[in-house]
Amino acid sequence: MNPYWKSPTERNPEHSDEFAPGPAPFNRRDFIKAAGFTVFAAALAGCQRAPIGKIIPHDKAPEELIPGTAVHYASVCHGCEAGCGALIKTLDGRPIKLEGLPAHPLSKGGLCAIGQASLLGLYDSLRFQQPILDGQPATWDAVDAAVKSRLNNVRILTRTILSPTTRAMIQQFVDAHAGAKWIEYDPLSSSAIADAHEQTHGTRVLPRYRFDQARVIVSFGADFLGGWISPVEHTAGYAQGRKLDDQTAWHAQFESTTTLTGSNADKRYRLAPGETGAALTQLAARIAQKAGAKFDTAVTGHDLDEASEKLWHARGHSLVVCGEQDVAAQALVNFINDLLGNYGHTLDIAAPSLQKRGDDNALAELARELNDGKVGTLIIAGVNPVYDVALPVGKARYVVCVAQRADETTAKANVVCAETNEFETWSDAEPVSGVVGISQPVIVPRGQTRALIETLAAWLGKPQSAYDIVRGHWQEEISWEKAVHDGFALIERKPVAVKSFDRSVVKSVTAAAGGLTLVGYAKVGLGDGRQAFNPWLQELPDPVSKVTWDNYACVSVGAAAKLGLTEGDVVRIEANGAAVELPVYVQPGQHDDVVAVAIGYGQQMTKRFADVGPKWIQRNPTLGANCMVGVNIAPLLPVGKLVAPGAKLVKTGTRRELASTQTYHYITVPEKLAPAGGLVRPCIQETTLAEYRHDPAAGIHKHHLPKEDLYPPDHKYPGRQWAMVIDLTKCTGCSACVLACQVENNVPVVGRDEVQRRRDMHWMRIDRYYKGDGDDVTVAHQPMLCQHCENAPCEAVCPVLATVHTEEGLNAQAYNRCVGTRYCANNCPYKVRRFNWFNYRHDDPVENLVLNPSVTVRTRGVMEKCSLCVQRIQEATIVAKKDGKLPADGVIQTACQQSCPAQAIVFGDRNDPNSAVAQARKNPRHYLVLEELNVRPAIGYLTLVRDRAGKNHETHKNAG
Amino acid sequence: MKQILTYILLAGIALTLTIMVVGADRFRLPGNQQDYEPDQPIAYSHRLHAGELGIDCQYCHTGAERSRYAGVPAASTCLNCHKFITATWGAVQEEDKRAAAEKRAPQKITSPEIAKLYAEKPIVWNRIHNLPDFAYFDHRPHVYAGVKCQTCHGPVETMDKVRQFSPLTMGWCVNCHRQANQTGVAGKAVHAPIDCTTCHY
Repeated sequence: MNPYWKSPTERNPEHSDEFAPGPAPFNRRDFIKAAGFTVFAAALAGCQRAPIGKIIPHDKAPEELIPGTAVHYASVCHGCEAGCGALIKTLDGRPIKLEGLPAHPLSKGGLCAIGQASLLGLYDSLRFQQPILDGQPATWDAVDAAVKSRLNNVRILTRTILSPTTRAMIQQFVDAHAGAKWIEYDPLSSSAIADAHEQTHGTRVLPRYRFDQARVIVSFGADFLGGWISPVEHTAGYAQGRKLDDQTAWHAQFESTTTLTGSNADKRYRLAPGETGAALTQLAARIAQKAGAKFDTAVTGHDLDEASEKLWHARGHSLVVCGEQDVAAQALVNFINDLLGNYGHTLDIAAPSLQKRGDDNALAELARELNDGKVGTLIIAGVNPVYDVALPVGKARYVVCVAQRADETTAKANVVCAETNEFETWSDAEPVSGVVGISQPVIVPRGQTRALIETLAAWLGKPQSAYDIVRGHWQEEISWEKAVHDGFALIERKPVAVKSFDRSVVKSVTAAAGGLTLVGYAKVGLGDGRQAFNPWLQELPDPVSKVTWDNYACVSVGAAAKLGLTEGDVVRIEANGAAVELPVYVQPGQHDDVVAVAIGYGQQMTKRFADVGPKWIQRNPTLGANCMVGVNIAPLLPVGKLVAPGAKLVKTGTRRELASTQTYHYITVPEKLAPAGGLVRPCIQETTLAEYRHDPAAGIHKHHLPKEDLYPPDHKYPGRQWAMVIDLTKCTGCSACVLACQVENNVPVVGRDEVQRRRDMHWMRIDRYYKGDGDDVTVAHQPMLCQHCENAPCEAVCPVLATVHTEEGLNAQAYNRCVGTRYCANNCPYKVRRFNWFNYRHDDPVENLVLNPSVTVRTRGVMEKCSLCVQRIQEATIVAKKDGKLPADGVIQTACQQSCPAQAIVFGDRNDPNSAVAQARKNPRHYLVLEELNVRPAIGYLTLVRDRAGKNHETHKNAG
Repeated sequence: MKQILTYILLAGIALTLTIMVVGADRFRLPGNQQDYEPDQPIAYSHRLHAGELGIDCQYCHTGAERSRYAGVPAASTCLNCHKFITATWGAVQEEDKRAAAEKRAPQKITSPEIAKLYAEKPIVWNRIHNLPDFAYFDHRPHVYAGVKCQTCHGPVETMDKVRQFSPLTMGWCVNCHRQANQTGVAGKAVHAPIDCTTCHY
């Protein structure tokens, strides 16, 4: 029996094979008719003359711009408030790809899926093109006049503003208007952490978490690799910590839902959502006892021996984090970190994080003021509070929205100020004190739009361009031209003054009442949902559940069995006086008392997906019954929190099948065909840290490996031979690579229905395997892409030689030669080939501007798959050819490799013994997936090493 | 009735055969645009500029060694010379003579073709060499290897109106690459790849 499995249904003996039940077989007469028509159509098509093309050169040639040559601009990513560095690739005046900025001190060259996908927001044809006044398109003069006459009792509501220039401008605006106030809030709030620091350290500050410095990480529900504060920075540090030497990091996760972070932990504990505070109390008592401090508590019962032992042993290099929005629990976290001496090492509060400045109390105060009718003009910039927190904005006397696209809040606004897209304007960001990013425009603005600072400047009576304002702000402090070139600058900031730790505020917390709890979480691909309009992100499979296009009610395997639920059963969830209906997803590893639902779904702006996917007679809609993607659960959650205790869950009896990408593409051997012991296909080869220390090659299966070939190798690789190695120990499964590949290679979006029909088009997928039984599982992630086999099974069966081997070891796919027999996909043991069942939607001329002109847009009837970014190989090779050389090792980076925050992917020429990839292939941890088939993949993997000696534990020993 | 149909069919076949025989030498596969010679918005002569005046190809087509596309020059490149040269030498001389005869200062002559450059609007040229979207040709490696422009584009310096000299078919590309691997280019051994991924990705 294979220890690894992908979904609970797979363990079901009725589970059949990789193929979906097909339609009724095609009969002979229909075939002849279709074939006859095809011949006729082909003959007609052959009669056409090629369309006449035009060449329109510039009138005046711009300097530095060579048509057809890409220019990269260093800038800032605006996908969330993490403020990562971005490198924007522009071609002929339009940005086509966002990459990580290698020199950036925080993101270190990585960029997450959300960040990369934010580029599509620029080419959103439904963006506001001009301001709207009372529902009618208006001029800026009319809007300015209308707003300026009503600026009394102003409230400005924004999300965390990273830009120091914008902050200064808003502050100036607030100072200029008596009684004005500025409120910041974050849909994914970290307000409690800041509040706890105000209590314990005397300053409202969010520490910068240094996962790169931590040797022991204990996280209580903080999904720091997924969506918590600064995931790219955290992932880079976390992967760096997994050194596998004596100093290698150890990570324990206590959580109620199965998060991406938990799936990477060495030890994962299921913890009821109400018990976080109690567990922290007990941990604090243990640490206090070791430290000789006084902290008494009656709370016991959690299995914290190993965590407290390791934390204490690594004091000064350990880190405790908590994702709970509970000030008392966060104060305990501060207490533990203080006892361990982690402040100044793994938590930096002298140069703190500025990435989450939202204040939930201020937001609650605003809601009160609105209800009391005390707000005159409410200016809402860049947030959607009607959706996020059901803020009664209509109770303000005048509502002004600064927004890029229509949402629930703009629908209630008197004035909508069309905001310039972040790729069209100058701005800046200071995610961490002293790290300043300068963001430059990479395209001319479309439409009559203004950036927030320009709008505020106009209302202050001194209109200025964003460039003048931003440059003016930094003129004295930084070397402007260098900062614009580099994309960031480091400046001296005065360290934040904190008081000595105040232990008096730290109180023991007892467990909250049990029972079913609704837990909201942010999906790695959608975050707080501000990019719900983005089809790339909607179709990105969630790294853990692998479901696309929907949110759903996750229940544990145990709870599903108890409640008689199976995947796809629609349930009614009631909490906080509201109710929603959602399909069930059975999520192994979750706590039994939890029903977890992703936030950010069910937004008005997803109505645009009514037409996504191919238009054909049997298509099913992508949207749900509410005409939106997913369901909004914000009304069920208390404001600022993601946990709603006392939820009720009732089975409705209806069903809605989810579009998951991991119910297919199994790599299994039929029992009768398997050699002895060969049923197990160890795609994941895993070992424990202890075994690895004993034998670095531990965990690698050496059974049934081919010893010699019948035929001598006939394919010589005289020059370069491309290879890739993926380190499973570093890979966290964050899916940044999947999106990078999609953007780089023009991979189409197919829609929910086509995903259900097993026709998703991602060239790269991340296989997620569970190991263990029921909810006691460990998780492994494995990026899977075309393996570029030397003995490629696909090549042997192609009747038209559309897929052949190149002299540099690439498995080439010539789209123009492919006739679509799909034999290759059938014969591929890795299931990485994708077939174009349709001409996928490319009918939005604005959205088409994002297409990479260096990669063919494939048509219907053509097979496609990973090319190892051959367009990048060709480009770099041609550039190096000028000097008669080959590109140096590391110059060519595939799209997936470039954006990987964990730097888990190495690519290069394995014929060069000094190349990084040749070295990685010599690593004792190196193995090939399905090596026993002797297809000789060019893609290798390094074993997954985790300190997972025993099984997972329930933290509460008494609980069942 | 059947007889009539048969006659019609036979006549049709005969006509088809005649057309095929007569047009055999002009037969081309679909997509092959060899000898395409469209009119251009400006009666620009490569024979004059590249041939008689001997201007280097890359003076105007600067992209050839810097980009995938050789590129068509911006009007500002033309104006480097045509800011001063506004008409043919013949026309200028004629005006000088006429001015001398009429005893007045010679006027500035602007020929109607060159005047099109002064409109400060991009010129919309008709594209001659047009590869299908799934083929990626790159000028740079060919220029670096020392392939002459004329190898593919033909004797452009003799053409008043440019025409597509080569078939630009895949067979034509691959044959040249194969040959280059055997004989080298400009006396140097070269490695001209013939993998699919050289052009198709």
